[in-house]
Amino acid sequence: MTETFEFWVSYLTNGRHLNWYASFQYTVIAALLGGAFALLFGIGGAALRNSSLPPLKLLGTIYINMVRGVPDVLFFIFFPLAFEQLVELVIAQSACPAGGGAGVWPPCPEANWFLGTGEYLLLASVSLGIVYGAFTANVISGALNSVPRGQLEAARAFGMTNWQVLSRVHIRQMWVYALPGLSNCWLLLIKATSLLSLLQITDIVRGANLLGAPNFSRTAGVIHGDWRWGYYLALLLFYILVTYLSEKAFAAITRWASRGMPMAERV
Amino acid sequence: MTGLLEAILVDVAILGRATVFNLYFAFASIPVGFGLAVLVMLGRNSNNRLVANLCGGYIYAFRGSPFFIQLFMLYSLALALNLSVWKPLGIDWLVLNPLFLGPLILALNTTAYTAEILHGALRAVPKGEVEAAKAFGMGRSERFRRIIWPHVIRLAWPAYTNEVVFLFHATALVYFTLPVIDGQRDLMSQANDLFQRDYNSVLHFSVAAAYFLAVSLAVFFVFGLVYRHLMRHMPGARPLKFSLTRA
Amino acid sequence: MKKLIAVAAIAVALFSTAANAQAIRIGTEGAYEPWNYVNADGNLAGLDIDVMNELCKRTGLECTFVQTAWDTIIPNLNAGNYDVIAAGMSITDERKEAINFTADYSPPEASGFMMLESATVDPANLTGVKIGTQTGTIQDAYATENFATGNTLLTFDTASNALADLMAGNIDVILADSSYIDEAVANSGGALKTSDVTVAIGGGVGAGLRKADTELLAKLDEALAAAKADGTIDALIAKHFPTRKGPFYVN
Repeated sequence: MTETFEFWVSYLTNGRHLNWYASFQYTVIAALLGGAFALLFGIGGAALRNSSLPPLKLLGTIYINMVRGVPDVLFFIFFPLAFEQLVELVIAQSACPAGGGAGVWPPCPEANWFLGTGEYLLLASVSLGIVYGAFTANVISGALNSVPRGQLEAARAFGMTNWQVLSRVHIRQMWVYALPGLSNCWLLLIKATSLLSLLQITDIVRGANLLGAPNFSRTAGVIHGDWRWGYYLALLLFYILVTYLSEKAFAAITRWASRGMPMAERV
Repeated sequence: MTGLLEAILVDVAILGRATVFNLYFAFASIPVGFGLAVLVMLGRNSNNRLVANLCGGYIYAFRGSPFFIQLFMLYSLALALNLSVWKPLGIDWLVLNPLFLGPLILALNTTAYTAEILHGALRAVPKGEVEAAKAFGMGRSERFRRIIWPHVIRLAWPAYTNEVVFLFHATALVYFTLPVIDGQRDLMSQANDLFQRDYNSVLHFSVAAAYFLAVSLAVFFVFGLVYRHLMRHMPGARPLKFSLTRA
Repeated sequence: MKKLIAVAAIAVALFSTAANAQAIRIGTEGAYEPWNYVNADGNLAGLDIDVMNELCKRTGLECTFVQTAWDTIIPNLNAGNYDVIAAGMSITDERKEAINFTADYSPPEASGFMMLESATVDPANLTGVKIGTQTGTIQDAYATENFATGNTLLTFDTASNALADLMAGNIDVILADSSYIDEAVANSGGALKTSDVTVAIGGGVGAGLRKADTELLAKLDEALAAAKADGTIDALIAKHFPTRKGPFYVN
């Protein structure tokens, strides 16, 4: 019994597993950074949507609605590739001799922009930010419209300037109405972090596949059959746990944000 | 310019064939998922604590974890059961085929999301009408059939429309995870493949996005018609309005 | 436009390590024993790794390895995400259209068939069976050309994912490099078997480079020729493939 226990301890702490545990950082970084970008794009998108200038309003509306018709995975794969190519195209304008080879990319070696795990991770976070920023923009735009008109008028009657009304009353009140929707966006975003392996990142999902797949090579460690579902189950439980903790955290934030606001508790 | 047009038309043809797989995955999983969702929703509201907790746990687990990992996990689990279960039953050729397993996993996933939508709608059914039906002497099943269910479906329809679109988008992940038989390719894997040949990301992914968009709009349109039909007796009912996030 | 160029320049300056002529990146899959894999210590190992380390030592290049998925390994080389592919990749005419190869550092070997010990499949006469290969390998192309009619072909992301399906009875036979099959069969505890039937596909295994990198290619080829002549490569092959009968490069 102790022997099997010792075997599992040493197996689960070998270098391959330590690499795998370390790769959880990519998932966490993508979630936090992606969340920050999503909030940023969300506020921007909501500002566009609620703008009084028709072209800006249209832009905001298109941004918010595009994620309705196209899957997140398509943006997720397309944006980093297209951004890399755009950067390389711009460099090529000055770095490459005219008339580079057709059908090859980048146009010339000097224009190459190397993408390693760090670069891909950053681009993946921006992709997540773009997609879930559109969801967030919708939530924030709705929340801005949910703040009772009377409160804003009361603030104006107090002699507050437009900016003061926006920053001291409108946006502060808005959070309470936005929190349930933001919580939803965050839960979607953390699930989308499972897609990192599609961008050449050896993340927890690819790691689980490599560790769990059967190994019949002496030199590659313990010989075993197909253990993949066990590893994937661990990942599922990890995500469910993160979801659970996120829900608890958002509930706490909502309680805190709506203190002293009897109206908001029914939201 | 004609060169570009030609390239677009070639992509439209190639990716059009690939779209058939996404449509098949969606059509095969949506009815099954809806039927299962009704059962899970009823179970969730059952007076039997065990059944209610099991159904609640099922919904939480599938909504709380990524579909991408569910695909990997359930494929490797189905594979692990092959020699002991599927082979003796003689159904291994069916169970492990992506054209069967893909829709099955999609159905299990959408069951959880749909059950949650229906559960929310069930809680919003006006209590007064149910009580009136009780007072009228209707039995449990008659109450459900004639009073509760029509309310539930009307309340749930807008959110369910979104769920169907999300499910269609999720079909893009099937061929990123399951083994590919005889070179079958869906919209997303085909676009990826085309990109790797000539690095023309804008062209291939735009055409793929256009297909996803077209099907999504078609879903919104058809489900909108159904919604109008569902709401036909309600004068001045608001047209279908969609929320963006998955329920 | 000026602004965009400035932003791009900053982005490139921030994210790309300074171009050092002496540093190259080597892309490998890390999931194809005994060619390239991650060992229990968590480090890359295998013939591809040892050969490249030897060549880097001889040329004075500073090499780092990048683990990457197999099915996109050529596009990612051409896209510049690494400079050399060392992943047990056979030299074929089709691949030569996309990339250049060094001379082979492992001679041509046959591809073989791997089955469960209890299987009754006859590799010499495959009909009505499910054949598994790894996506984008020479065996994948060969099976598509020769076995597609009358059989079902399944392709997998990695070789070990195909192995999992073979062990679970979802496919009847795997077509792969004999060296890979021999290693798996030898360590399967009698669960797997191979057969004497083999097919000759592809040339030897070489390192892949972008077409434009002719200078680097010449440098690596020169070092490789020397390493072959003095027996270093033969010793590495013997170390990783106990069953292959050498020497191959020293007379």
